[in-house]
Amino acid sequence: MKRFTYELPGMSEIRTRFIDLLAERREHIASHTVAAWDAKNPADIKTNLAAAQATLHQIAGTAGSLGFGPLGDTARACEIRIIKHLEDNDTTSLTCPGDLIVELDDFVAQCRTVSHPN
Amino acid sequence: MFPVQIGTIAAKAFGADKWFLEFEMRILAVDDDPIILELLTQFVMAIGDHDLTTADSATEALVVLENPNTPEFDCFLFDVQMPAMDGISLTRSVRSMATYADTPILMLTAMADKRYVDAAFAAGATDYVTKPFDIAELTARVTMVEGLVESRRERNRKIFATQNLAEPEAHVELYEPISIYDVENVIDYMAMENYVEQLSRSALFGSTTFAFTIREALQFHQSLSSFEFYSLVSDVAEIISDTLEGHQYLMSYAGNGTFVCITESGWRPDMARLMDAVNLSLAQTELYNNKGERLQARVSAGQAVRLIWKSGASLMDAMAQAHASAEDASMAFEQSKHDFWQMGQTA
Repeated sequence: MKRFTYELPGMSEIRTRFIDLLAERREHIASHTVAAWDAKNPADIKTNLAAAQATLHQIAGTAGSLGFGPLGDTARACEIRIIKHLEDNDTTSLTCPGDLIVELDDFVAQCRTVSHPN
Repeated sequence: MFPVQIGTIAAKAFGADKWFLEFEMRILAVDDDPIILELLTQFVMAIGDHDLTTADSATEALVVLENPNTPEFDCFLFDVQMPAMDGISLTRSVRSMATYADTPILMLTAMADKRYVDAAFAAGATDYVTKPFDIAELTARVTMVEGLVESRRERNRKIFATQNLAEPEAHVELYEPISIYDVENVIDYMAMENYVEQLSRSALFGSTTFAFTIREALQFHQSLSSFEFYSLVSDVAEIISDTLEGHQYLMSYAGNGTFVCITESGWRPDMARLMDAVNLSLAQTELYNNKGERLQARVSAGQAVRLIWKSGASLMDAMAQAHASAEDASMAFEQSKHDFWQMGQTA
């Protein structure tokens, strides 16, 4: 869909940097997902889900341009899911549903499959 | 500049006949994602001999912009969603700087962020590009900006920005859109066209376009100086904006005394009531020309045209229909006034 990859000079380096950064971002999402699941109060759930969402937003914004379209699409789907969950639920009674955690866990697993081209 | 070979390959890949943009622009790109900044750096280098400055936050961008040693930028690329200060607030801050009152601002945003896109246009954005980037789309948007920058340089249209009031007055054509500053939800006509274009990418069920025309705009234009006419248009824009307060909408001055508006909120405006409310407010507002003579400005309202089931060119046609109906209503009012005095008289 997005045709940046082979058309601009310097794309190979950016792609490498994206993959390196993805490992860091993946851990960030995983740690906030676990923290949201373990959180005892709605405010902490919200803070952690929002942090995961911000990182998903970054991945979704660039993955497609670098030839990782499916990864970007999943990141966007997870991001939208979190936004909707936060919008649809009252801050005072916010919970962390299991299926959302499973979705984020699947995304983290998908990140692990992305590797350097060589 | 990049070797010709790279440009040629890329131009072929993009299906573009013209690869390099015509002249050099100074661009400021702001995004909290370093990957986006790197992509933009490569893109800008590839499209021409431009000078790109990057910042990873709105705060850093403001530091750059407020530095008196920073040369003036021709164009901005702002991410919408950034931590601390977002791109919408940054746009507002930049627009409040007299130097950048009408400098093109392209917002960088995700497809799902439509609510942010609307807010960005209201804050003064010229257009937006969706992430992840499509190279053809990005090239098209930057080319559009290039045209704006070129015409801006040629005509120096910022005669009415605060810092330039002392400069010689330029002539404002009656039919020409005018940039109006610091009025809530009022955007450039070019931005309005871009906004309407992006509407076709989304649901239109709740969207309606409508327009108001200043009655006897031609007479006002002929009898007032350009600055007085601009002030009149600006004051009427403010009164319409105040009248529409509480509704979601964007408005633009399209020229010939006409303001076109778009709402997407599902609101179905009652044009007769709105017109009465605007005219009541105009009657209560004391508008004067430079000689101290009171200006009795009133508006006519056209039809509210729903945008449902429309797309592409027909969206622009709908806006044109709303525009034309307001001008027709204004002409009909003037005609009826004329006919009233002719009633019962014979030659």
